[in-house]
Amino acid sequence: MIFWILIAVLTAGVAGLLIAPLMKPRPQLTTAREDEAAVYRDQMKEIDRDLALGLLGEKEADYARAEIGRRLLAATDAPQRGLTPAALPRPHRITTLLVILCPPAIGLAGYLMLGSPGMPDQPLAARLANPGNNIELLLAKAERHLAQNPNDGAGWDLLAPIYMRSGRYADADQAFRNSIRILGATPQRLAGLGETMVAANQGIVTDEARGFFEKAVALEPGNIRSRFYVALGLEQAGRKPEALAAFKAIKRDSPPGAAWEQLIDQHIAAVSGNAPGNPSAADVAAAQNLSGQERQAMIAGMVESLAERLKADPKNIEGWLRLVRSYKVLGREQDARDALQTGLKTFPAETGEGQRLLALAREIGLGEGIVQ
Amino acid sequence: MIVEIGHYALVLALAIALIVSIAPVVGARRNDAALMALAPSGSIILFGMVTLSFLALTWAYAVSDFSVRNVWENSHSLMPMIYKLSGVWGNHEGSMLLWLLILTLFSALVALFGRNLPDTLRANVLAVQAWVTVAFTLFILLTSNPFIRLNPAPAEGQDLNPVLQDPGLAVHPPLLYLGYVGFSVCFSFAVAALIEGRIDAAWARWVRPWTLAAWTFLTAGIAMGSYWAYYELGWGGWWFWDPVENASFMPWLAGTALLHSALVMEKREALKIWTVLLAIITFSLSLLGTFLVRSGVLTSVHAFATDPTRGTFILAILSIFVGGAFALFAWRAPQLKSGGIFAPISREGALVLNNLILTVSTATVLTGTLYPLVLETLTGEKISVGAPFFNLTFGLLMIPLLLIVPMGPLLAWKRGDLLGAMQRLYLVAGLALVVGLGLYYVENGGPVLAFLGLALGIYLILGSLVDLWYRANFGKLAFSIAFARLKGLPRSAFGTALAHMGLGVTVLGIVAVTAFETEHVLEMKQGMTADAGGYTLVFDGMKEAVGPNFTEERAHFTISKAGVAVADVWSSKRIYTARRMPTTEAGIVSFGLSQLYVSLGDPMADGGIVVRIWWKPFILCIWLGSVIMMIGGFVSLSDRRLRVGAPSRRTKPAKIALEPAE
Repeated sequence: MIFWILIAVLTAGVAGLLIAPLMKPRPQLTTAREDEAAVYRDQMKEIDRDLALGLLGEKEADYARAEIGRRLLAATDAPQRGLTPAALPRPHRITTLLVILCPPAIGLAGYLMLGSPGMPDQPLAARLANPGNNIELLLAKAERHLAQNPNDGAGWDLLAPIYMRSGRYADADQAFRNSIRILGATPQRLAGLGETMVAANQGIVTDEARGFFEKAVALEPGNIRSRFYVALGLEQAGRKPEALAAFKAIKRDSPPGAAWEQLIDQHIAAVSGNAPGNPSAADVAAAQNLSGQERQAMIAGMVESLAERLKADPKNIEGWLRLVRSYKVLGREQDARDALQTGLKTFPAETGEGQRLLALAREIGLGEGIVQ
Repeated sequence: MIVEIGHYALVLALAIALIVSIAPVVGARRNDAALMALAPSGSIILFGMVTLSFLALTWAYAVSDFSVRNVWENSHSLMPMIYKLSGVWGNHEGSMLLWLLILTLFSALVALFGRNLPDTLRANVLAVQAWVTVAFTLFILLTSNPFIRLNPAPAEGQDLNPVLQDPGLAVHPPLLYLGYVGFSVCFSFAVAALIEGRIDAAWARWVRPWTLAAWTFLTAGIAMGSYWAYYELGWGGWWFWDPVENASFMPWLAGTALLHSALVMEKREALKIWTVLLAIITFSLSLLGTFLVRSGVLTSVHAFATDPTRGTFILAILSIFVGGAFALFAWRAPQLKSGGIFAPISREGALVLNNLILTVSTATVLTGTLYPLVLETLTGEKISVGAPFFNLTFGLLMIPLLLIVPMGPLLAWKRGDLLGAMQRLYLVAGLALVVGLGLYYVENGGPVLAFLGLALGIYLILGSLVDLWYRANFGKLAFSIAFARLKGLPRSAFGTALAHMGLGVTVLGIVAVTAFETEHVLEMKQGMTADAGGYTLVFDGMKEAVGPNFTEERAHFTISKAGVAVADVWSSKRIYTARRMPTTEAGIVSFGLSQLYVSLGDPMADGGIVVRIWWKPFILCIWLGSVIMMIGGFVSLSDRRLRVGAPSRRTKPAKIALEPAE
């Protein structure tokens, strides 16, 4: 309501100020040339001064005086160009009406078309003070708190799994490491860090990640989840006998009918049966044992499958970043460029994701032709 | 609510601008004082509304209101306040609003200070300004609206482009726009005069302060932009002949020509048609610059976002205004009476030569800027026209221009004595040669051209002083009398001298840097040393640091001369966390007017890091010269004569006559 009152006051004020000149009687009009004559009179004085300074010869000064004099005469003697200084102001009824109507008509119509009437301001400070249950805001608030108190382990503990769930793996990684550093290692934190790394590496349990899971298992031998990742890591690394033993141990220690029973069985089958046609991520880890050339081929295959997935579902910024970088690493500049362009179609340059793509392009030197 | 009020104020501004575009023109035709009076008051209200709108957006930035899409896209709550505020124009929408704000500011200034103008002229000028305002308000509202809201609002913004997170952003765009947009006033004066079909010497005087103001700000804006690019981009260069730079340089060249031709027109009523044409061309080049930068035709740090509809819209504005003005010119120009005659060797003659060279060089820059674009559109072939082209064409054109600069003020109006002027310059030219030669021996090793260039710079500086010297008649008169005469000279004489002197200082800087700079690219490890410009740098190692919204790796260097430590400098590479974007922050130390410039490259596998070290002798002269030019502009602006007939138009002539005739 206050908003509309303000709008009304503003509009009325503007209209009122605009019509003011129309209301005032204006008895006299300057003829256009009086102002001109003032300039020429001043120029005359300039000649005198220049003459005194010796900048102008006597003869030149006379010529100049004559020249300006002619201009001055023309200006002062000019017919008044049919000016009729109106003794009475003309009535401006129609003009006044138009001027009064124009601001509210155009203002309101235009604003209602373009604006968001009545939408309140939302300064961040006020929103942070009263975040309600908006996860994003709670997160932002916690981040600010941690930026001020970087040694608040409980804060990092709280934030880490949230980052993990929202796919901000780099942040989650940092948060888990911080909470481990400040509050010490627990099986949960170690497993969380490990899982973050697995997620960030698209399902591959790196040696480092397996190390964290192993530490978690050491602290809590009954932690099935961590044990599963250790086993998975072994499987992916091609250490099949060890993986088989680990999976079997999990099966043995699990209560009958556990939710993960089927998953474990699948892995046991895969590891023991050498199941063909199963080009899982496991093979990639196995690539560590391959020759350089074979490894290249394997990586290339992985990149192709990523490209296929992105074709089907382009709304995956991490995927695009990875693809562009992979192409570049493989030395396939043109493919990298194409992928960048395709990615930019989904995430245009003005979006944050688009900026990340462009930043990557700059970083790895794909710059020219795309960004300055 | 504040944001929405701001949005409404902008729409209201459109309504006001429409009224001011129409009513005063009708009033001027009908000679209706009341309708014409709508122009000044309307222009001031218009400025008020746009200011309100701009303040509302600024407020949204200040409090990080991410429900405004523009704020969300270009701000971050953790940025320092100065970048939040300058971030208002660090993006396409906001910068267009700043453009509009400055446009209406100039209209309001004309309304306030234009009391000495004839009523009809003022009404028409303000109406033409309002036409431009309507076009740009529509452009903002329809294609680049900064007030679009987001619901629900995101919790954090996407940050401002890190390259723009610099104090330079607070200064460079406003100054540049004051220049760019300032020329709109000259354009409006030209169009208004063409509408009235009458133009005379007085017109030139009325338009001169606006030209001077715009030129002064544009000079400052370009110089500031150049310095910013120099220290921020980390490439050590200060001018790249980049299309965006050219876009601001072309109006400057044309504006400089305009400034000088308006002088001839004011004094001698000659070059009328040419001056009007220049006024139109200058603002057209400003519009062209806006189009090139804003449409996304050029991709650069200035093209915040590219959107074809925006480009088309600006192109339409460009065609309507430029096309319309030229059509009006073609129709009216033959009816204008031409003015005084003059001998080829006279001050007019020198200024005509100045105009000739300046317009040809503008055309050269225009060609070099547009040719690659046209070629790419027509054939798809990508070429880049770079420094070699411009240095050869533009550089060659500048030499004769710079040679005649000191002669202009020394020549008399109408019929000058070239020999006399040259005689006065003999001494100066000789002195310049000697000093240039001396500097050449000191630096020892630059090409001969550099020595000539240095002499040219000194010739310009001394030549500008000679003008004052002879005007005051030092040497012939007793010192005290001459000094009194010097004090009595009009301020515009000092303005001219300062501006020409600044040009000389800039030329000096350009030549010195181009000829004598040294560049070292080397891989350094902790403890290693490097020599540049007679100084020794010791690399003390790297350190990590955290800023409000970035992390950086900084390298520390200790600088010593002859074994004595004289300075130290940090040079760093930053990563801005929100956009994960790297930037370099060059370390710069000034020694007098020269600088040592240290920039970090990539780290090497063996723990070293690539370091680029430049020694830039006299580089500060480039910008110091621009500052002197700017001061010259302001001094000239303060000249009493620009206010003539001015304080109030009701002043009786008798009162004017009473003023001391200096």
